[in-house]
Amino acid sequence: MEPPNLYPVKLYVYDLSKGLARRLSPIMLGEGEGARHTSIVVHKDEFFFGSGGISSCPPGGTLLGPPDSVVDVGSTEVTEEIFLEYLSSLGESLFRGEAYNLFEHNCNTFSNEVAQFLTGRKIPSYITDLPSEVLSTPFGQALRPLLDSIQIQPPGGSSVGRPNGQS
Amino acid sequence: MSHAISQTSRMSQSGCPSGLSADKNISSSATQVIVKTAGNQKDFMVADDILVRQFKEMLLAHFQCQMDQLVLVFMGRLLKDHDTPSQRGIMDGHTIYLVIKSKHGSRSLAHSFQDLPTNDPCHWDRNTEGNSSGVHQPTGMNQAPVELAHFVGPDAPKVHTQNLEVSHPEHKAQMLENPSIQRLLSNMEFMRQFISEHLDTQQLMQQNPEVSHLLDNSEILWQTLELARNLAMIQEIMQIQQPSQNLEYPLNPQPYLGLETMPGGNNALGQNCADINDQMLNSMQDHFGGNPFTALLARQVQSSPPPSPPSQERQDHSGGLSSNTSPSDTPNKVNHTSKANTAMISTKGQSHVCATRQPAGIPALPSIELTQQLQEEYKDATVSLSSSRQILEGDLQLSDEQTSSQITGGMMQSLMNTPYLAAQIMLFMSMPQLSEQWRQQLPTFLQPTQISDLLIA
Repeated sequence: MEPPNLYPVKLYVYDLSKGLARRLSPIMLGEGEGARHTSIVVHKDEFFFGSGGISSCPPGGTLLGPPDSVVDVGSTEVTEEIFLEYLSSLGESLFRGEAYNLFEHNCNTFSNEVAQFLTGRKIPSYITDLPSEVLSTPFGQALRPLLDSIQIQPPGGSSVGRPNGQS
Repeated sequence: MSHAISQTSRMSQSGCPSGLSADKNISSSATQVIVKTAGNQKDFMVADDILVRQFKEMLLAHFQCQMDQLVLVFMGRLLKDHDTPSQRGIMDGHTIYLVIKSKHGSRSLAHSFQDLPTNDPCHWDRNTEGNSSGVHQPTGMNQAPVELAHFVGPDAPKVHTQNLEVSHPEHKAQMLENPSIQRLLSNMEFMRQFISEHLDTQQLMQQNPEVSHLLDNSEILWQTLELARNLAMIQEIMQIQQPSQNLEYPLNPQPYLGLETMPGGNNALGQNCADINDQMLNSMQDHFGGNPFTALLARQVQSSPPPSPPSQERQDHSGGLSSNTSPSDTPNKVNHTSKANTAMISTKGQSHVCATRQPAGIPALPSIELTQQLQEEYKDATVSLSSSRQILEGDLQLSDEQTSSQITGGMMQSLMNTPYLAAQIMLFMSMPQLSEQWRQQLPTFLQPTQISDLLIA
């Protein structure tokens, strides 16, 4: 048996505060943190979840450009083939495009899920906790219907796991 | 040798060792693990010394698949058959991920009627190299009809797993040349059944009921497939679709889809954009020569009562602007007879005009401006002015409720003072690509700006 190959798994974190969140968050949240978009990079590809479903692109290849920070999640033995199969099945079930919800089922949810699959570890909690923090403010709850309709889909990726490719 | 009891629990939390005490009763070395597969998870009790292979056998029964399709992943490590849970450090309540690999053969044939993701080389090429189509033995060609039926069968349970296109194109071509396959393909009944039973088709039909009509009629289907092969036509159709969608956005009641739906009309529109811009600039200078905005300011003082609506002034081709452009623009575009309009606008406080939508007023200028310009060009539109005025009035009412006008008011002032800048902005902004971008970004612009309006008000 050949020794298992270990593939590094990284989490790319994009700070969206430059755009939408910067206008919202100081007023709403009272924090300067803003929203984050995350994606998982493994096997020299970046994978993320948006309103168009699961997408992939070369690392740093979305319109957001290079990430604001990179977190090392660990390493995995999962080969690319198995990983893509897993992603396809996720894309059919849990992470369809229409399942996207800015607060509860977003790119960070996906990154967390994938990170756990690949390495058994979760992504840092300050990323996943942001939506619940927002929702716990009365302002966040009041604006919830509006914010629910916001869909984020960073352009520049191609979708994974669907025979008729969507952009 | 090792007995394992499996329970089914749908929404059990991973990492929650709820059955801890129960474990002790059954066997001191049993562990409760959660097996998670895409969209589904089940609890399993395993003895610590069970071999992974035996565990897989258990799972076979639950997931209706074959041994070589199962892949177990724990903490990012692939579980080998000869491992045991204790070896891997699998404790109570840990989650093991299960990936069910596809039967590669079935996927490829089932998808011979759909577009193949051949335009994504970085992913699928690596895959195809990795897995030469094991199932496709060229010698097995005579078995093909049987295989086909067999493939359709397991589609049902397997269909959620993935849609990989794995086999080499040559193999597929070879298969298709087989006369028995061809016989099958030409059997209309079978094909219709095949297509309609495929899950993707069913999903498509759910989303789009018209598609079922398409699929049932073989003639239409054939034509559609022909069309699909012709990429150029598709592109044209997409282009035509897009502007009409975007143009619908700025609430203009006028139907101006006439030109867009004509093939090639889009190009004509693009050309005329440039023409209009030139003419606009020229007309600006022609009519007023000098600072047209000071003219506006002068008129502001004389505020005449609003003229009766549709004053159908004849306009230059560069006529009627959208409601949301600055009032300073309007005099440039319109005969002096309609200056009264702008005067009316200004009496109501032109700072309010652009309020509603765009505190970032300028970005929105081009898209709607462009819309109107195009409209003018093709409809000899005197009507648009009245419509824009109606919209203006509508907006004014809206904006009266909001106080963000202060921001836009200042912006409008400065715009008026620098007519050249305004003209440049209009020109620059009305480049089609930019306007496309603005249109797409407009909804996202709007939402936060609406919020901020609310907040300021």
